[in-house]
Amino acid sequence: MSEPHLTLQTASAPPQILVDPAANPKIAVRGLDFFYQTGHRALKDINLSVAERYVTAFIGPSGCGKSTLLRVLNRIYDLYPGQRATGQVLLDGEDILSPRYDVTQLRAKVGMVFQKPTPFPLTIWDNIAFGVNLYEKLSKPDLDARIEWALRKAAIWEEVKDKLKRNGASLSGGQQQRLCIARAIAVKPEVILMDEPCSALDPISTARVEELILELANDYTIVLVTHNMQQAVRTADFTTFMYLGEIIEFGQTEQIFSNPKEQRTQDYVTGRFG
Amino acid sequence: MSQAALEANQPRIGAHPGRLGNALFGGSAWIFAILVLVLLAGVMISLISGAWPAFQHFGVSFIWTEVWNPNRARYGALAPLYGTVVSSVIAMVIGVPISLGIAIFLTELCPTYLRRPISTAVELLAAVPSIIYGMWGLFALVPLMQKYIEPAIIGSLGNIPLIGDLFQGPPYGIGLFTAGLILSAMVLPYMVSIMRDVFETVPPQLRESAYGLGATTWEVIGSVVLPYSRVGVIGAFMLALGRALGETMAVTFVVGNSYHIMKSILAPGATISSSLANEFAEADGLQLSSLLAEGFLLFVLTFTVIGMARLMLLRLQRKYG
Repeated sequence: MSEPHLTLQTASAPPQILVDPAANPKIAVRGLDFFYQTGHRALKDINLSVAERYVTAFIGPSGCGKSTLLRVLNRIYDLYPGQRATGQVLLDGEDILSPRYDVTQLRAKVGMVFQKPTPFPLTIWDNIAFGVNLYEKLSKPDLDARIEWALRKAAIWEEVKDKLKRNGASLSGGQQQRLCIARAIAVKPEVILMDEPCSALDPISTARVEELILELANDYTIVLVTHNMQQAVRTADFTTFMYLGEIIEFGQTEQIFSNPKEQRTQDYVTGRFG
Repeated sequence: MSQAALEANQPRIGAHPGRLGNALFGGSAWIFAILVLVLLAGVMISLISGAWPAFQHFGVSFIWTEVWNPNRARYGALAPLYGTVVSSVIAMVIGVPISLGIAIFLTELCPTYLRRPISTAVELLAAVPSIIYGMWGLFALVPLMQKYIEPAIIGSLGNIPLIGDLFQGPPYGIGLFTAGLILSAMVLPYMVSIMRDVFETVPPQLRESAYGLGATTWEVIGSVVLPYSRVGVIGAFMLALGRALGETMAVTFVVGNSYHIMKSILAPGATISSSLANEFAEADGLQLSSLLAEGFLLFVLTFTVIGMARLMLLRLQRKYG
């Protein structure tokens, strides 16, 4: 295939083989279909493996089903009667779609960060303590320590340590989003789902959150939905290109952007549509 | 462009409001707005001037004197004031938890097919005329209270030390407690519909993030929905309290119309509005003036409630905004 006219990355970088996600996946999606209340089939026979402690990005044009897929992974769609998923989603080998799987336990393992920052109408301290208190009974000093740990991990401790009793909504947008990430981390999940976490942020805050994603990938499995292809290139190890509810191509980010196997992937990553 | 098209593009002077039209419309809007203030001032002035003879005759002690004797022409507002406050407090104590429960059920728990029927039923409660509540209270509720509910209350709560005195005496059926009970049903729809609207303003992403952390419905309501909407919820309580304080017809039917303050909340009493409704038509002279003075006090009372609500909301907003 001819060299794609891309400047997203240095051509000289040797292709680096990371890991085979299918070998020992953290999350394995098998034959997943998803239906909205209207009967609209938003996901069609999705098969996907998410590697542990790597960043996996979902890209694709609006309406391709990337957010829907993300929302299946912690069953947040359960809140809306009429939405249903069929197939299998295995987390560490156990099917989370099975009615026997405890959804609270699932959400303790699989945290989520949303498009818009969603601090609770509570103090900064309470915002983090809320999630922790759902699962653990910690003494006040232990809880304080956990909160500091989470805020440090989310790279926001220095900015908020003197105003922990202030309302979470008093922070700037970027700070609020890092607070939400800290809130997700504080319950010590294994997987963090991020639904376009930077789309409401300015470039500087975006850069900070992206740095944070790279940092967190050392300890957590991260699944990232993004509209921004540069962001996928900068942060993701693996990229999934979706179109009209189907996975068109999955591979290492570098390969997807520099040497896609599918014509539609090529067209999308070079900006010909989407 | 043709001549006809050019003409069509010309502003049509006749249809355009122009300077005069703008001034007229702006001016009349101003007048309508000012009219509210004028009306309020008018009510205030006529109340004060009507009440003046009573205050002159009895002094400020009119407010804390417990006597109402048209034969001797001696009047004091304490008993109706007490009855107004107590019946409204009873209404709130009963109504707040119930309406909070209904509103939470409607927004958080209710299956979609039940949401509309229940909402409509609650709104219809608000459409029932006050006099119907009064008649229903007198003919349906009072006998029930007298026969079953009040004896049960007297037999159980009446024996508790300290608060037992509040629930003693004969079961009259009519009284402050029955009035409060009816009031709670009357203010319920207002509280429910305001709270339901306020709860629905909670952004879905906020709910999702709480559920996404693994919170249960109970935890989401307590830590996200209620804190997010607390200003509106307090507003709903205050609006309901304001209505309860001034409600007339239904209360007049069941309150008992007695000007003596009894220890028991089951005993008959009077509220300001019930005493106005009962006596205003036949009153003259000092009695009329005393009734107007009561009206003035009610005005001050509701005004204070609304003022306090505003203050509280301001402080809340400063603290959390």
